[in-house]
Amino acid sequence: MIVEFWGHEFKVNIFLGCIGGFLIAVVSSMFGFGGGPFMVPLMTIGLGLPMYVVVGSSLLAIFFNTLMGSMRHFQFGNFDLLFFLVMFPAAIIGGFIGPQIAKRISPLMVKRIAAAGLAILALNLLGVY
Amino acid sequence: MKHVRLAVAALSAVFILFAPDAFAEKSTMGSESPKAPVSMSKSAGYAGTMTISADKTALNNGGVITVTGVAPAGKPVYLEVWSDDTVRASRFDADVDKGTGKRPYRFYLTTEMPAYYKIFVPEQMKEKIDASRKDGKKWSLSRVLQETGADAACDVPASIKIDRYQATLMGSIVGSRGTLLNPMDPKEQKTQCLQLVKARFRSLDKVVGADIRIDPDGAFRAEIPIRSGLAPGQYKIVAALDNEIRSNTLTFENKISFPLLYLPNAGTSLNVFGPFFLTLAIVIFGVLIGAGGGFIMNPLFVSLWPLPHTIVAGTVMPTVLFSQASGIYNYSKIKFINWKLGTTIGLSMVAGGFIGPKMTELITLDQFKFVFGWVLLVLAGLMVWQTTPGYLEKNKKEQAILKEFKKKAESSAAK
Repeated sequence: MIVEFWGHEFKVNIFLGCIGGFLIAVVSSMFGFGGGPFMVPLMTIGLGLPMYVVVGSSLLAIFFNTLMGSMRHFQFGNFDLLFFLVMFPAAIIGGFIGPQIAKRISPLMVKRIAAAGLAILALNLLGVY
Repeated sequence: MKHVRLAVAALSAVFILFAPDAFAEKSTMGSESPKAPVSMSKSAGYAGTMTISADKTALNNGGVITVTGVAPAGKPVYLEVWSDDTVRASRFDADVDKGTGKRPYRFYLTTEMPAYYKIFVPEQMKEKIDASRKDGKKWSLSRVLQETGADAACDVPASIKIDRYQATLMGSIVGSRGTLLNPMDPKEQKTQCLQLVKARFRSLDKVVGADIRIDPDGAFRAEIPIRSGLAPGQYKIVAALDNEIRSNTLTFENKISFPLLYLPNAGTSLNVFGPFFLTLAIVIFGVLIGAGGGFIMNPLFVSLWPLPHTIVAGTVMPTVLFSQASGIYNYSKIKFINWKLGTTIGLSMVAGGFIGPKMTELITLDQFKFVFGWVLLVLAGLMVWQTTPGYLEKNKKEQAILKEFKKKAESSAAK
């Protein structure tokens, strides 16, 4: 598939994109997380697209998954309205505060700390300690 | 930063201001509502019956309720305690059947599981319960009940309605629960219900307790601990002697008040500030590291509170819908979305999103944690890779181009 973006043309292996997107969607809707951190590498490395094409289009693709996943979870009775109402305002407020803080700190440091934190949480979930 | 602190302080102040009101309202409601009287031993001494009485008719977010009664001397007494409030419980049976050697792949589902269910047995049987602890996660509720003799006292599990589905691989792929099978016979029904009780409450101590002290003359007394974080509303207690003899039913009410909140689908009461501030902190952190909050939120929610993983996955997912939609709107305003690419991959993701939520209820909490552990390890690896010099250099160029394009896009959108 040829993707045209701001006057540039990119040849994309759409088969790989769709298979990868499908697999990411199954796992992410099964476990209830957004697929962003996996979609971006898939589209940049797997499909060879530059970042500026990927940021918006990957969000659109993920939105499809989140919408479908949410509807299906609702259908299976996995949705708790009160729980949602507690988290939703916090998520909105966090979405405003986050970028304000992000401007002031080094993303490199945050990512290194996050990687360590994620690894610790992961090992805990795997029952290593 | 100053604004942030101010906002948080203001928010907390608002909550604290409203807290006493909410509390007062709840407690007056509680005292007005008619309560079933706790029965007194009217028919004491009548052979073949048993009466029990309790010291309280209400608890405030759990506590200890003392039940006393008299039974024929030398006989073990059991207490069955359950809540009127019900929740959903499900289990996917894919373990090899010992009789046939095949995997049944059956899905059991009920919406009538009490939000609280526990059997109390005489103190002497504590050793038998402890013995089951050696089985680790493979403990069997029906074995514990048989060994303590408490299976005669389990009336509630025999009466709840369980739907049984024959799952197929194809069915799971297209997102169907499978074929609904015929209702089970009473014996099978009870066995499956005990399995569901275990799947729902998970820990042995939550469903069996050795708290009944029986005197040689048959008088018994049990200090029943009702843990915090349970469903509000009416609870029932019945004492059982064997298959036949049952006592009167005692009723008590469990009250909860703000900031505790009962999540009816999850079947758990929790302090609203917990999930609220955890979500806030993780969403902020998520923005900083460029990964959605769900990655960290879901495993923390299932680890910190007794919330079912199905509910956590199904409720966290829609919280990002709004931020994703507003992100798409902002990008589309500056024409920063390739609709053809996004929609094509998006349609394949719709198919994935259709299947995934079905699979959530097929796995256990332990499997959920296990997969999440690996997902997070991969994510951590991605983060480390994003801090390597090679990536940073490439990213710098990309970010510069991105900025330039955004500027162009914004200025052309403004025209």
